Amino acid sequence: MKILVCISNVPDTTTRIKIAEGNASIDTTGIQWVINPWDELSLTRALELKDDKATGVSTVTVAHVGLPSSEPTIRKALAIGADDAIRVNAESSDAYFVAAQLAEVAAKEGFDMILCGIESSDFNGSAVGGMLSEFLGIPSVSGVSSITFEAGIPVLTREIDGGREAVTVPAPFVAVVQKGIAKEPRIAAMRGIMLARTKPIKVYEPVPVEALTRVESFEKPAPRPACIFVDPANPAQLIDLLKNEAKVI
Amino acid sequence: MNRYLMTRQIIFAAALLITFGVFSWTVSRLLKYFSFTRSGFPVKNLGKRFGVMMEVAFGQTKIFRRPVIGFAHAMVFWGFCVILLGSVEMVIDGLAGTEKALRFLGPVHDIIMASGDIFAVVVAVAIIIFLARRLFFHIARFEGIEMKKRSHRDANISLSLILLLMISLISMNLGYLGHAKASGTAAEGLYPFASLLLVLFPGITGEAHHVIYEASWWTHILAIFFFANYLPYSKHFHVFMSVPNVFLTRLEPLGKLDNMESITKEVKLMLNPETAYAAAPADAQVSRFGVKDAEDATWKNYFDSLSCTECGRCTSVCPANITGKKLSPRKIMMDLRARMKEKGPLMAKNGRESSDGRSLLRDFITEEELWACTTCNACARECPININHPSLIVDMRRYLVLEEASAPGELKSVFNNIENNGAPWQYSAQDRMNWAKDMEVPVMAELQARGEKPEFLFWVGCAGAFDDRYKKVIRAFAKILNHLKVSYAVLGTEETCTGDPARRAGNEMLFQMQAMQVISTLNGYGVKKIITACPHCFNTFKNEYPDLEGNFEVTGYIELLNEFIREKKLSIPASALRDIKVTYHDPCYLGRANEIYEEPRNILKNLTRNLEEMDRSKSFALCCGAGGAQMFKEAEKGEKEVFIERTEDALKTGAQVIATACPFCMTMMTDGIKYKNKEEEVKNFDIAELVVEAMGI
Repeated sequence: MKILVCISNVPDTTTRIKIAEGNASIDTTGIQWVINPWDELSLTRALELKDDKATGVSTVTVAHVGLPSSEPTIRKALAIGADDAIRVNAESSDAYFVAAQLAEVAAKEGFDMILCGIESSDFNGSAVGGMLSEFLGIPSVSGVSSITFEAGIPVLTREIDGGREAVTVPAPFVAVVQKGIAKEPRIAAMRGIMLARTKPIKVYEPVPVEALTRVESFEKPAPRPACIFVDPANPAQLIDLLKNEAKVI
Repeated sequence: MNRYLMTRQIIFAAALLITFGVFSWTVSRLLKYFSFTRSGFPVKNLGKRFGVMMEVAFGQTKIFRRPVIGFAHAMVFWGFCVILLGSVEMVIDGLAGTEKALRFLGPVHDIIMASGDIFAVVVAVAIIIFLARRLFFHIARFEGIEMKKRSHRDANISLSLILLLMISLISMNLGYLGHAKASGTAAEGLYPFASLLLVLFPGITGEAHHVIYEASWWTHILAIFFFANYLPYSKHFHVFMSVPNVFLTRLEPLGKLDNMESITKEVKLMLNPETAYAAAPADAQVSRFGVKDAEDATWKNYFDSLSCTECGRCTSVCPANITGKKLSPRKIMMDLRARMKEKGPLMAKNGRESSDGRSLLRDFITEEELWACTTCNACARECPININHPSLIVDMRRYLVLEEASAPGELKSVFNNIENNGAPWQYSAQDRMNWAKDMEVPVMAELQARGEKPEFLFWVGCAGAFDDRYKKVIRAFAKILNHLKVSYAVLGTEETCTGDPARRAGNEMLFQMQAMQVISTLNGYGVKKIITACPHCFNTFKNEYPDLEGNFEVTGYIELLNEFIREKKLSIPASALRDIKVTYHDPCYLGRANEIYEEPRNILKNLTRNLEEMDRSKSFALCCGAGGAQMFKEAEKGEKEVFIERTEDALKTGAQVIATACPFCMTMMTDGIKYKNKEEEVKNFDIAELVVEAMGI
């Protein structure tokens, strides 16, 4: 069984996002890029499944749509333990574009299980996984929080209202996974880091895809107003604030 | 008579030959086992080593850390040294058929004999005390999961053998003196105790004395021969090993961890764009990173393990062990020795690569034990023969992280945070200057842009930048720097983690990546002098960066404050603090790791007239529980949290203020005060804060 893990390259979660002049793009200077946390957990689970010989998982490949500048993130995934990697040489513009590119390489290479993080921590579109399965015409299961193997068949567990649902689907399929799929992201071992230097990264040129969305503008949420401290000796001020500022009484 | 003498000589020579034969065989086995171990540090600095040996081994200084029982041991040790000279004479006599061959030394011989005679009694008394302690008293440190029936039997056999040696020596001297007196010949040497016995037991005939002498002589020398060959197989091997082990002491400061050259090579390849994605060069092959099995340990680790006599002083001061966690530093040493004993013969037969499917890690030492260590170095500081346990513990963590990518979950997050945002916590580097809000704090990049160069770089540290409580400490210290118009600057948003928690958690790769980044930033600014506000950063800069070509003059903020006071640059006016009772908690990385005990106390004595020491202080201080990356993870399973144990020490003094000098200690002590519901009565302040408070700036 071959697993494909789709990875997105996102700013580290502590990054202070700056909007570039013109408000139409993000200023990427000085940003530390990391593997999207959900994708990192997918990769971790894929590798755990591969470690368990009973599953019959033979290879774990990572795929990414991005320019050469995202190579360190791909190498990180290889260091963590992916066997090989695919990069589609294009700047991702929206979920539709990314899903189309991924579908193209997934069809070419052939995988039995495709894992996508439920969303990416940059634009949080939550759309690539579903679109990818549509492009490929294969089933997709959303909100997967656990993947186990029973008698060689992958069993996907979803969190549903008030309980859990376990499903099996015919391979190949797309699993859109959420947190919980792995306990914590796997870190790279030294051998992994050393091997990652020479592991293959296949580069595909993008296929033409119609642009369906266009960013009009970005804006930051209004900053949170400062906390007002009220002197305990002055309850009148508190009442006044609650009445006139917060307008709750 | 001649015939008797000749037979005697032949028997003696045969016994000696057997003794040496068996002993050489044992030594050759051990040498073979040593050949499997990893190369450690080279043995240089012979002069300094000789000094350490004289002080710690022959001076018995560390054994005196427990004065009463330490005194008894010192007597045994010094007694052995003197009695050994007498044994040498016995060997000469036995081989040459002479009697008291060293008599030509005259008065020196008299002194050797006399002191041997007296020490025989002293040692015998001490050994009886030791035996009684083991047999009839419940001494906590003689117990533990690693102390099996065998360990106790082993101790009792060794002690009984020594007692036999002493009794036979006393009776030998008695017989010798008695026989000489009866036969009217002059005795060679002085025997004060035997003379006394002679007076007490006047009824023994000359012939009987001779029999006593002969029997005792043979008993004594044969017991020595047996003892010599029994020792290497018992816990009491330390009789031979401890003096050389002290001579071979790791001379680095306790806080320093050894650099992994194999990782340095790898990091350099990665940081160089030309080699970053090229195939690994042939010389980068490393069979294993860190320690998984006995042969991965260094020769010194193995030497330590053979020298350990299972006294348990290390374990009795280990914060993890005290609070009921599984870690026992003594067990680490005993396990290494036991594992080599198990695997050594196999490797001797089939080569170093052979395997029996078992390993030191997991089959002997569990991960739980390794992750319980706070790297506080109390064990290494306490060991009477300078065994270093933490370096081996960290080497085993290194194996887990570097080879297996295995670590407690929280530490994996710490690794990711350090790698991604340059701090153990998830905070943006953009927020690194938030502590300096509304303050004048010069930033390196801005000074450089103006063409200025400050004298000091002030290294704030991640806790100072992000921990709300410690931000106040940094503000306090910066206020003092500003007040004294010290020429300094901070890196601001360019600062990043020094890598200390990563290194102590076994992630040497991440540590070195951070270290090289920091060193290159600092060198870029031409930094020569650094002030640090966190003992962990201090230790890393001072002791560990030089291995990676980061050579700076490093001063901790406590040292600097003390210097300001000493040079009278800083005068602290009498304040309300003067009558407040203060106790000081020694941070491990200032104290044991770097031997800074007096400076903080001196500052505090300038603040208060009422400085109260805890029962465990200075080099005896108990860790707060946060070192060795414990700050960032849940404690391993135990009966108690270390910080509670330590807070209780502090509360016992009745102090109103617990003074600390480390961000992690501060978190722990503050939590401890909260846990004990003492927030009203007891406050925790950093020394810098107290200085600012007293000065009113």
